[in-house]
Parts: sequence; C-alpha cells; structure tokens
Amino acid sequence: MWEFLARSLEASTIFTFAGLGELIGQRSGILNVGIEGVMLFGATLGFMAAQSTESYAIGFLVAIAIGGLLGLLHGFFSITLGGDQVVSGMGIWILGFGLTTYIGMPFTGPLGLPRIPTILGVSPLFYIGVVLVVITWFVLSKTSLGLRIRSVGENPSVAEVSGVSIAKTRYLCVTVSGMLMGLAGAIYSLDYNPVWNYNFLMGWGFIALALVFFSMWNPIILLGGSLLFGTLWQLSLNPQLVLPGLLSRYIWRTVPFIITLGVLLLMSTKWFRTKWGAAKPEALGEPYEKG
Amino acid sequence: MTIGSYSVRLEKRTLLRSWEAALISILAIVLALVLFSLIFILAGINPLVAYQEIFSYAFANRFGLPLVINRFIFLLLCTSAFIIPYRAGLWNIGMTGQLYMGSLGAFGVLMALGGKESISAELNPFVLIPLMLVAAAIGGAVIGAIAGVLKGRFNINEIVVTMILNFIAYWLVAYMIKEGGAFMNPGGRGESFELPPSVYAPLLGDIPFTIFLALGLALLLYFVFAKTRLGYEIKAHGHSPAAARYSGISPLGISFLTFALGGAIAGLAGYHYFAAVPGVYKIARNYGYFGDLAFYGIICGLISQGNPLAAIPITLLFGGLSVGGRFVQGKLHMSFGVDYALLGVLMISLVAFQFFYRYRIIWTKIAKESPDVGVSG
Repeated sequence: MWEFLARSLEASTIFTFAGLGELIGQRSGILNVGIEGVMLFGATLGFMAAQSTESYAIGFLVAIAIGGLLGLLHGFFSITLGGDQVVSGMGIWILGFGLTTYIGMPFTGPLGLPRIPTILGVSPLFYIGVVLVVITWFVLSKTSLGLRIRSVGENPSVAEVSGVSIAKTRYLCVTVSGMLMGLAGAIYSLDYNPVWNYNFLMGWGFIALALVFFSMWNPIILLGGSLLFGTLWQLSLNPQLVLPGLLSRYIWRTVPFIITLGVLLLMSTKWFRTKWGAAKPEALGEPYEKG
Repeated sequence: MTIGSYSVRLEKRTLLRSWEAALISILAIVLALVLFSLIFILAGINPLVAYQEIFSYAFANRFGLPLVINRFIFLLLCTSAFIIPYRAGLWNIGMTGQLYMGSLGAFGVLMALGGKESISAELNPFVLIPLMLVAAAIGGAVIGAIAGVLKGRFNINEIVVTMILNFIAYWLVAYMIKEGGAFMNPGGRGESFELPPSVYAPLLGDIPFTIFLALGLALLLYFVFAKTRLGYEIKAHGHSPAAARYSGISPLGISFLTFALGGAIAGLAGYHYFAAVPGVYKIARNYGYFGDLAFYGIICGLISQGNPLAAIPITLLFGGLSVGGRFVQGKLHMSFGVDYALLGVLMISLVAFQFFYRYRIIWTKIAKESPDVGVSG
C-alpha cells in the first residue's frame, strides 16, 4: 500500500510540473493546448540524451531546453505573429506526436540506468514540485513580477499603458511554461516509468490541461488536483490493489478520463462558479494587438 | 523594414481570394516537404530519390494506388468530420474516438444479427450493410454529441473533451475486442471477429463503395454551407457566437448539431476501414494506428480552410504521402514512423503559414529621397 501511495505521488509530480507550466502561461494570457506534444519532446529527447551520456542531469537539461524552445516557438506564433493560439498549440502537439514517434523508435526499450535514489521512498522530484508550486504561488500573488504577469493576462491594454511590455512578459511566461512541460515529460520517461514506447503518454498532457482549468488558475489548488489525479491514474493502472477483479482492466483505464469529464461538468455549474468565483484570465487565448 | 531598395511591410488582409488561399496552402505543403528532406538526409537518403519513391508508389503503382484510395476515403471522411464543427468555430479533434465508436456500432449490429457465429454465415447484405452504416453513424454521433452538449450547454473546452473521449473510446475498443470481450476473435489474437464474406462491402474493382459516400458527403456539405439556412447559421456562429445568439441562433443547437454530424461522418470512417477495405474486415489489433491517422483530418481541414471541395485533392495528396511514407520507410530501411514524422512536419509548416492567411507582404520600391523642405503635412 505504501508502495502504491509513493507511486501515486510520483505520478502526481508529472501532472504538477506540466500543469504548473500551463498555468504560468495561461496567467499571462497564452493558452497552449500542445502540452502533450511538449511533454513528448522532453520525454523522448531527455531519454535519448540520458541514455547516450548515462547522465540523468544531461537528460533533464536537454528536456528543459527543448521544452523552452518549443515554448518560444509557441510564443513566436502566438505573440509575434499574433496567430490563433489553439492552431499553434495543436501544431506543437501533432509535431511532437509525429516527430518523437519517428526519432524515438530506435530507442524503444528500457533506459538501463540505475534508478534515481528516493527520499523517504518517494522520488526527490516530488519534493521539488511541491517547492515549485509554493514559489509560483508566491511569485504570482505576492511580487511585482506576478502582478505584471496577471495584468498582462487580464487586461493587456491597461497593462501596456502602465508601462508593462506585453510581449516580453508573455515570452518570459511561455518559455518558462515550456521548460516545465518538457521537464514533466522527462520526469515520466527518466523517473516514473523509464521505458521508451510509442506514444507512451496516452493523455497525461491533456489531463494536465484539464487540471489547469480545475485549479481556477491557483497553483495550490493545482497541486491538490495533481495529487488526486496522480492517485486516480495509478489506481487505474493497478485496480487490483483496491478492488480486485471488479471490472476489466481496460475499463479501469477510462476511469480517470470519465472523472475528469465529471469534474469539468461540476465546475461549469452556476452553483460552483458563484461559490468559488472562477479566476480565468480575462484575455486568455486572445492575441494582443496594439491599439 | 527595408531589403535592398525595397521596403517590405505587412498589411492585414481584408479579404482572402480563393486562389491566394490555394497558393498559400500549396506553399505550406512545399515547405513541409522541403523541411522533411532533412529527415531523409539525416537518415543518409537522397530526398529526391525518396520523394520519387513515395509518389511513384502512391500514384503509379498497382499495389500502392488502391491503398492510397482507401486511405483517401478515410481521410476525406475524417476531414469532413473536422470541418463541420470547424465552420462553427469549434474544434473537433475527436474523430479518433468517433471512428472507434462507429466501428463498435457497426460490429455490434453485425453480432446482434448473427455475424459472429460463423464466418460462413449467409447474411443479407442489402439489410445488413445499411444497418451497419447507420449504426456506425449513430455510434460516432453519440460520442460526438457528448462534446457538443458539454460545449454548447456548459461551455466546457471542446478540445479537452474530445481528446478525453478519444482515450475513453480507445480503451472501450480494447475492452470489446481483447481478453474475452464480446467482439473478441475466437482465435483470441487481440482483434475482433471477422466479417462474414456475405456482408463484405461491394467493390468497384478494388475500391469499396464508401468512396461515393465520402465524395457525396463532401459535395453535400459544400452545398449546405453555400446555399442553406443551416449552413448560414453554422458560419454565423463561427464568425461570432455572441452575434449569432442575438440573431436567434442557439449556441447549444449549433454545437450539438455540428458535433453530432461530424461524429456521424467520422463513425462512417470507422465502418470504412474496418468493414469495407479489402483485406481488413475486422477491428484490427493495431486499431490505434487508424485512430492516429484520423489526426490528418485536422491538417487537411485546416489547409482546405474548411472548404469540403478543397479537401478532396488535399486528402488525396495526404493519403498518398502517408501511404508512400510507410512504403519508403520499409524500402529504404528507415526507422518506423516516417508517416508520423511527416504528419508533424506538415502540421507545423501549416501553422507557420496561417500567418499569411491574415497578412500579406507588400514590397514597394523606395523612391529617391526628396529633399526635405521643412513643410509638414
């Protein structure tokens, strides 16, 4: 049972990093629906780098770098070119899905490095994730940088008048956002399940996207959501731990997705919104053009 | 910005002529193929040889061409399924799940009417094939409509929902065809039972009748968008949901209808691949591959700018590229997934070219500087 909980915490770490990345980008007004693609890139290139250099550090750094680059690319399409952010995000997702399937294929199989040592039975990345959540929360709600980011996401024309550079702030956020997503992918392929397979993510990125909507753009709630979904995901992989023989294992795999739909539905109700007040960034998804 | 003696600036387009849209789309595809050459070069292959192999296998080979046509039918159906909600400003990326549910519907009817009992069952094709088509359409429509209602009634992001439904449908198919599922092949090879030959889809040469379905639906959609009230309402919702609502168009109605129709057409794509393509005739073990192919529908829909007629040549080309890509991968000993990589490169090139749908580049020759006489205005 303890083993199951530890694995759940590690699964939630992936949601935490990916979701945190998306949250930071969205707070600045940039929607990136391509999380899964960035994660696939980080996971695949990180895996390849770590395997060929036999160094975890290099693997993680490569993943962060490619994530940052893809974040910049999304920024270029959506900030500089002012394009449709959904189209760009879809492009990054399909690029990631297509290209990593091809370049990762010769690396199919286990990583073959000694596992990353754990702290109290849980991967150290879990603790780093929790610390990052707190830092992000602090930066977003208590610092002037956070105020700048939020103002750019809420009302860019007002922010610009008060002297904030929309483009700079958004570029900063999408780059950091991409780095965290790339890292999230590498956490999957280097730590959580160090085996490369065709399209191994199977929806982690899209659940992370949904988690950001649940979190009402609050990093602390995001952490809670990640813990819940990490446990749920782990349970769907090992249903026999809790309810042996109840349903087919294939049906269990649909459970996290069905619950995601249920939570999205609950959140959309009037009751929920008036009770909690959704804090969706006002300018989310809209390109900013100087007036 | 100036380059040489020209000044270059960008201007927002007020209208996009259809030849301009076509030109931009062609350039996007050409750029993607040029970029994709890098993949061949990195694999130590002359890209010209590779492209020649791809195109000659796809369009001038008696083994390749039928594969391409079958894929074309599939992609055209998936593209139509994407286009209907797209014209209403909604994103259907759930063709994958919709086609899975469509194939479950078709095989469900088949099983209910005795198709599983024996491979030599003599079933009436005039009854069963239409029923399978209807069931496939209903299967796709139901899962599509879920996304439509969640978007229209509760304003839940349709991208997240359709993608989540894809995964749910993926595991449902696994549940039905594997490990003792109701549709499991008696031989237990992780695939569904086989279609009795009595209900194989009618062929014209090597091509199943579904080609008429795909082409007919594309024509019909073109007509609906160009001439009918429904088409007008869908387009109005696509331009501005708020304005459409003021003029009495129900957002829930449009969202529900476009997703249900799109889902129904994607469901037919499921029927096509698993019950009509010669040599398949079952829900294959690698059904996930066909689900992935459905993502080409997004690209084709975007490149054709939501025009169902423009989608016809584009899906034919992409059908050829994906089949040809698979072929050179084997022939030139490349690693698996060339067609996947091509999908990715095409998509990102298209995204970059989206810019030119909205802006055009104006080159003007800079006139010799005239002396400043200090008079302004």
